[in-house]
Amino acid sequence: MFDDRSPIYRQIADRIKAEVMSGALKGDEQVMSTNQYAAFYRINPATAQKAFQQLVDEGVLYKKRGIGMFVSPAARDTLRAERREGFFTEVVDPMVAEAKAIGIPLDDVIDRIRNSR
Amino acid sequence: MRIDIDDLRVSYGDVHAVEGLSLTLEPGKIYGLLGRNGAGKTSLLSVLAGFRKPSGGGVLADGRPIFENTAITRDISLIRDAGETIDLGTVEDALYFAEHLRPRWDAAYAKELIDLFELDPKKNVKTMSKGQRSAVGVVVGLASRAPLTMFDESYLGMDAPSRQAFYDALLADFMAHPRTLILSTHLIEEVSALFEEVVIIDKGRLVVHSPADDLLSMGTSVTGPTAQVEEFTKELTVLGVKRLGPTSSAMVYGRLDHAEARRAGLETGPIAMQELFIHLTGGPAS
Amino acid sequence: MRFPSRLLGANIWFASFTWLAYLVLITLITVGIAIWGNLDESVWEKAVQLTRWYALFAGVALVNEFLPLYIAHGQSRRQFGFQAAVTIALFAPFLAALLVISFLLESLLYGVTGWTWALGQAHLFTAPTQVPLIFLEYTVMFLAWLVTGAFCAAAFYRWQGGGLLAVPVGILMVLVAQSAIGDRMPLPFITDRLGFDLPQSVPLALAAGLGTFAVGLGLSWLIIRDVPLRNQR
Repeated sequence: MFDDRSPIYRQIADRIKAEVMSGALKGDEQVMSTNQYAAFYRINPATAQKAFQQLVDEGVLYKKRGIGMFVSPAARDTLRAERREGFFTEVVDPMVAEAKAIGIPLDDVIDRIRNSR
Repeated sequence: MRIDIDDLRVSYGDVHAVEGLSLTLEPGKIYGLLGRNGAGKTSLLSVLAGFRKPSGGGVLADGRPIFENTAITRDISLIRDAGETIDLGTVEDALYFAEHLRPRWDAAYAKELIDLFELDPKKNVKTMSKGQRSAVGVVVGLASRAPLTMFDESYLGMDAPSRQAFYDALLADFMAHPRTLILSTHLIEEVSALFEEVVIIDKGRLVVHSPADDLLSMGTSVTGPTAQVEEFTKELTVLGVKRLGPTSSAMVYGRLDHAEARRAGLETGPIAMQELFIHLTGGPAS
Repeated sequence: MRFPSRLLGANIWFASFTWLAYLVLITLITVGIAIWGNLDESVWEKAVQLTRWYALFAGVALVNEFLPLYIAHGQSRRQFGFQAAVTIALFAPFLAALLVISFLLESLLYGVTGWTWALGQAHLFTAPTQVPLIFLEYTVMFLAWLVTGAFCAAAFYRWQGGGLLAVPVGILMVLVAQSAIGDRMPLPFITDRLGFDLPQSVPLALAAGLGTFAVGLGLSWLIIRDVPLRNQR
């Protein structure tokens, strides 16, 4: 379920963010409570709470007192904007470095991109 | 229930099972207690439960001494292989006395758990398989709802599906009725996600007490060409090194700059809690 | 301090069923002896011998099974000590009452069939209908055997092999009680009897009973007041 790649709470947060981005979780939709999350994934509820708190701090979720946690309506756009910012440094540059490392001419890469328009 | 342990010593004649251990456990959390065989876990837990007096030092629960103090001990439960709470007769007999003696006993919940673990209430506990015996212990431990509940490896005899049922029941009841829970285990990877904090003891002394996340983040594996690995890790705490041909993988304990490692042409990765435990307690594989 | 309702109750429950079975067995043996042998004395007088051992083992079980159970469920050794004492104090007369009933039934049977009822040794009582004397005699006996069982078990629990030192003390307590009630303990294969030569009297029996009870409990308390629970089964 969760691997050791990073702390569990961060993996939970990333997973929820992915669901928001893909549209599986929509704006103003209620998410599972921390206890439900903990029971479902068999983790300590404090870990789930930490993840949710991080998402609240990042503006992805908001809390309705006495009811539960909901997805911020702006969350999807916010997350996409974040990803857009990092796109070139985190996706394109490494791809270019990889192409160079294995000896693929960049012109071939550019052609491929053009053809997939 | 809050636990304060101050310079605890537990000795059996010449054998010093626990030596100068000090530890504070905040209430309402799930603690993992890890240690090799003979590290002192059983002795520590038996003192916490009032099963024996400390040989030195002191232990307080909610600020009060434990040994022979019923106001405190009736709210403490320790379930272990010795089976004190279950070996009396049949499963029903065990529940009969638990109900009588435990102030927060929940008979309906006990019945649910008996059904969950598929136990025969009329069967004599001493004649049961190890797994079923463990299950009876689990029922008594959970249904007692003691503010400090401890399980000393008692569930290790259960088969994998029963253990999962136990973890699920434990987690659900913990969330519904918060209390301080201590789980001592050898099956670290199976349970580690349940722990909020981890306590590791070795040879009677405290080695680690930290939130589970922090402990995991203290371990990194650094892999790459041997020379680079050695250069990068020369100032760091290295728990162990594995070598295969020209490549080495070092287990480093402590904060590490992942970006710097990558710049040096090295790969970093996490270390499973079980691996950290093995290395921190100087096990045979390390 | 709570009344040990379940501790006493569990012992009474088990003893009652065991006694019923034993009663049937002894009755069958009695009839058997009468038919195929020579019946000229009380069979129950002899049958009492096994019941002593039952009491001894009940005392042992109190320490071996119930003490760890109570401590593990958060009771203090002091609480358990009190509850065990009350249990023994009430269980002994209960067992004695069962014997009273046994003797009354025996006397009924012998009366109907015309068999001769006689005692083989000296007792506090001389006839099977002397309920108070039979009750007193066997209460004293059961108190001694229960307490001895608990005391020896406590010593073995705490010191393992070292518990052997408690055995002579236990034997002494039992001998005192048995001598006071007259029914000296015959050891198998030994015809001359062990025991003290004490006059049979009610006050002496009472003193012996209460004395062994107090001494046995006191010694047991000294052992269990801070006894650690064993780590293994």
